[in-house]
Amino acid sequence: MTERTTVPDLGVGVGLRVPHYRGVLERRPPLDFFEIISENFMVPGGKPRHHLERVLETYRVVQHGVSLDIGGPQGPSPEYLRRLKALARETGTPWVSDHFCWCGSSGVHLHDLLPLPYTEEAIRRVSERARVVQDTLELPFALENTSSYLTYRSSSMPEWEFLTEVTERADIGLLLDVNNIYVSSYNHGLDPIQFLEGIPAHRVVQIHVAGHTHVGEYIIDTHRGPILPPVWDLYRLAIERIGSVSTLIEWDDAIPELDVLLAEADQARSERDRALAARARGETSVDAEAVRAALCALRGQPAVRDPGWLQGGPRESAGKESDHEAA
Amino acid sequence: MSELDRLQDFISAALRRRRDLSRDPVIVAQAEREIHATSHFSPARHLEIYREQFWLRHTQSLLEDFPGIAGILGQSDWERLVEEYLLAQPPASFSLRDLGEKLPAFLESADFLPQRELVLDMARLEWAHIEVFDAPALPPLAPESVATLDEEALASARLLLSPALRLLDLSYPVPELRNRLLSAKGSLVDLPLPEPSPTRLVLYRRELSTVHCRLRRAPFTLLEALSRGVSLGNACEAACALGEREAASVEREVATWFADWVARGFIVGVR
Ligand SMILES: [Fe+2]
Repeated sequence: MTERTTVPDLGVGVGLRVPHYRGVLERRPPLDFFEIISENFMVPGGKPRHHLERVLETYRVVQHGVSLDIGGPQGPSPEYLRRLKALARETGTPWVSDHFCWCGSSGVHLHDLLPLPYTEEAIRRVSERARVVQDTLELPFALENTSSYLTYRSSSMPEWEFLTEVTERADIGLLLDVNNIYVSSYNHGLDPIQFLEGIPAHRVVQIHVAGHTHVGEYIIDTHRGPILPPVWDLYRLAIERIGSVSTLIEWDDAIPELDVLLAEADQARSERDRALAARARGETSVDAEAVRAALCALRGQPAVRDPGWLQGGPRESAGKESDHEAA
Repeated sequence: MSELDRLQDFISAALRRRRDLSRDPVIVAQAEREIHATSHFSPARHLEIYREQFWLRHTQSLLEDFPGIAGILGQSDWERLVEEYLLAQPPASFSLRDLGEKLPAFLESADFLPQRELVLDMARLEWAHIEVFDAPALPPLAPESVATLDEEALASARLLLSPALRLLDLSYPVPELRNRLLSAKGSLVDLPLPEPSPTRLVLYRRELSTVHCRLRRAPFTLLEALSRGVSLGNACEAACALGEREAASVEREVATWFADWVARGFIVGVR
């Protein structure tokens, strides 16, 4: 059974990203946990594994994946799951997560988080597979709501109902990405407050918050830049509903100095404390109307050119390294 | 095939199309059946957001892994290569790390490219870099484990080479070119391209960094035979068969080569 009460609250963490390795390993700043992109470490050796081992000396690590493909025609590959599980044994991750999405068909992997139609067929497919994944990994498993840039005619329910049905039937956790609620609400004309009220609060095992990029007609979940005020509002609203739950800052594009990221984690800590205090008093710290108004006000505001997106930031790779002649 | 499978096959194929989807009436019509229009975008335009990302993401990933090829070709030939490659070999692995695995083989028949032999050598080197980068690290052979073997046992011994090592028999001196291109950060137009010259390399990992060393023909032939599981005796014979000069050099230097290879961690086991 994967619910908020069956996994630990780790506090506030950040995504472990290549440009910060040095700063993290030299300074070992106080952080409750790091989240890693599992695929970047599902390799047998070399620098990625070396750096991960050094991080594990000091920090708790939570695994988050982008390539499981829970919803495509083929479904998760057994080889992928085997390697994922082997990595999970080494990191000691308290849970493993991926996304409500599909990644390709006919043997092609598109390396994107493509939206699913919200249909009974998709619920059945995803929940059956999610249950198998959780049993195979022998760890709590959670799926994350994604940002999306299209909606299907075949969808017969709102996204929050789909998330609820799958997590309940599969008995898995929900990784709630608050920024993705904001992005999808803007892109599809949804009410973010209603979205948040519709999710199964007791299933939330982790929260993501991130920056996004407004390109005019739509917002892209770029994980670039600081978290914007209305997303912090939504985050506090989520904490007021859910209670204390592990929170993670995602910053994958135009990655800033480590100190900027650490300051963002501090901000998350204080937003979380503020929301928990309001919850304890039975009050709210959020003006829901202001959140709705901020979303509406975005239409017509100046936008930037489409910068593209890449889940999980850069890989640590061989391409940037020149090699020298051995002595 | 289920409704969901059909929808996903349609989208998966559409995203790999090279041109703007709104120009293809068949796709436009099917997108209209499957995807909602919004006040700002048609269904095909919504799909187009994802299609652009497919090409951006995979082009970027290949550029990160093969900066040397991109440097030799320049922008327009590089883009053509990426396009033809991704159409012929769509990404299949869960990891972008594997995206270029079939690029060297693809280049063998990529007749449309200038400098194809040079590009092919660069592809072999850059793919070897990727393989060596995250290969497992095995402890090097302890010299004692061969010291106890008598001459006959030594001749029939098969040596296990490090998985973090690649042997490359190339026609161009590409490591130097790649380093120059990397330090020029993409502004390559004026770099003189090298003339052919036989380049036999061992690319391997020392600590965590990838380094290479050049080998003469005889030691390269010997090491290459060992990598294929040939016994030590037969590998030496293969090197001696190259010619009188090589045979003399094997005779004279083989012990030195071995000591060096063991010290560099090339050899990790003996069977
Ligand atoms: Fe997220």
